Amino acid sequence: MSTVSKLAAVAMLSLSLAAAPSDVAVVVRADTPVDNLSFADVRKLFMGDRQYWTSNLRVTLLIREPAARERDVVVKTLYGMTEAQFRQYWISKIFRLEASIGPKIVYSSDMAAELVTAVPGAVTFMDSSVVPKSLKILKIDSRLPGEKGYRLH
Amino acid sequence: MLRLKLCLALLSIPLAIYPQSADSDNQAELIRALRERIDQLERRMAQMESALAAGTSPVRAKPETKLEAPKEAVAHMGGAEHPMGTAPPGEPSTYPSLKIAGFSDFDFASTDQHGVKSGFNEGQFVLHLNSNLSQKVTVLGEISLTARTDPGIGSPPAAGFNVEVERSIIRFEQNDYFKISFGRYHTPINYWNTEFHHGQWLQTTISRPEMVQFGGKFIPVHFVGALVEGAVPFGGLNLNYNVGLGNGRGTIISRAGDFGDNNNNRAWLVNLFAKPDHPFGLRFGASVYRDKITPAAGLNAREWIQSGHIVWQKENPEFIAEFANITHETIAGRAATFNSQAWYVQVGYRLPGIAVLWKPYYRFEYIHIPKSDPIFLGVPGLAGSVVGLRYDISSFAALKLEYRNQWRPDQVRVNGIFAQTSFTF
Repeated sequence: MSTVSKLAAVAMLSLSLAAAPSDVAVVVRADTPVDNLSFADVRKLFMGDRQYWTSNLRVTLLIREPAARERDVVVKTLYGMTEAQFRQYWISKIFRLEASIGPKIVYSSDMAAELVTAVPGAVTFMDSSVVPKSLKILKIDSRLPGEKGYRLH
Repeated sequence: MLRLKLCLALLSIPLAIYPQSADSDNQAELIRALRERIDQLERRMAQMESALAAGTSPVRAKPETKLEAPKEAVAHMGGAEHPMGTAPPGEPSTYPSLKIAGFSDFDFASTDQHGVKSGFNEGQFVLHLNSNLSQKVTVLGEISLTARTDPGIGSPPAAGFNVEVERSIIRFEQNDYFKISFGRYHTPINYWNTEFHHGQWLQTTISRPEMVQFGGKFIPVHFVGALVEGAVPFGGLNLNYNVGLGNGRGTIISRAGDFGDNNNNRAWLVNLFAKPDHPFGLRFGASVYRDKITPAAGLNAREWIQSGHIVWQKENPEFIAEFANITHETIAGRAATFNSQAWYVQVGYRLPGIAVLWKPYYRFEYIHIPKSDPIFLGVPGLAGSVVGLRYDISSFAALKLEYRNQWRPDQVRVNGIFAQTSFTF
């Protein structure tokens, strides 16, 4: 197979993968004291309205960079906002001292997984097909990604 | 096969970048991150090639040990998308972790009010400082510089700008349900006052409602003291509270008692608001504020403020309505009671599709103040409309054009055109 053919095949594969994305999973470290959240609770988490898992464990939000599909899904589905509204939301939230720090940005699923592993209390979202087994996928309204009625896709 | 993976990585770059070409603000940052990612992949491939050459498994095992976070590739939300400073992932390793941001605006005004000149003017230049002193201790400062009308006059000559510490707060957080802070606040008995502060860019309109105008006397805009706040587990209602104790109004009632309480009588406030799960976007709340004020020797009054708000916190449509009633009971000389009311309703709508950068808006506001109220002596009532259009030049800057029509008791109706560019940096 020539190099050009390989590239074409890879491009086709990329497009086909992009056409059939998996659900977006909410992922935490295995030792985070939560397994199941309601959709409203997940929204509170990512909107910075809930900032502590427990009194001694602060929530650290990790979000993907702009234009990542996972970010688009979360911004539209959870926040109900456009990208511009999402940015203004966090600037104003810090300005009001409702949050002392905003979400941190990660640039790949690997990076998100590594940081969730490394940072106690970290939570992120990633394509459910690439979540490492060492991390915990949270149920949303008692449903895991791929199950009927799961809302983050 | 390894070369093929490298090709895949390289091929994926333009595919990844293209969808966000419209978002030029983030391209440089994203490209930098992608390059770093490519470097990481190339290093990983080199390791795999070495492993293959050595006859060992090329499969990269997931590390079992706690990983060090790749600090160089991760920025704080503000760092990557807004210059609020940067922070490594996880808890900052060093304290304090100061982040600085700013807001400012430039304005043009033209009215038919007799004796008022049209022209440009510089709005407030606001610096916002935020610093974590530990995982649970945060400091916030908000400093404004406002152009004076009398620069170069007096002895010594007045400076061109007034510097004001608008907010200075230190807050200790126990958890989501209990946070205690001390400092100078924007009094949390009014939605607009605590939602937009001095960030003109954050608010849809050019002007603030008259009831919370900077330097205005109707609502005590600032509060110096202590505040306990937090969330209350209350089902899907998502109730939040603020309870405060402070100095209340100073001798100049538009100012807080920064230097101390002028009558040795603390003000207190209670504010409750809810952001229910359903419908998402609704917020409503109510507040009570109590103080004894002494604006002049021999003039004392008890002040009660009751206020409420209901807000639809979205842009399709945006809806904000607030009401406040202020009761003054004079307690020196002849006792009397005076009630003043102020309210406003504002609606806006972010246009859909290709017009998404445009947002028309309208606000009606009304203030009634009894002429005989000695505390609000000389403070005029108001009935006015504001209609305007906001255009978002970028994610961090906006242009606004506004027409105002205002009527005050015993005065001629005033019409005005106002323009503003406001931004954050």
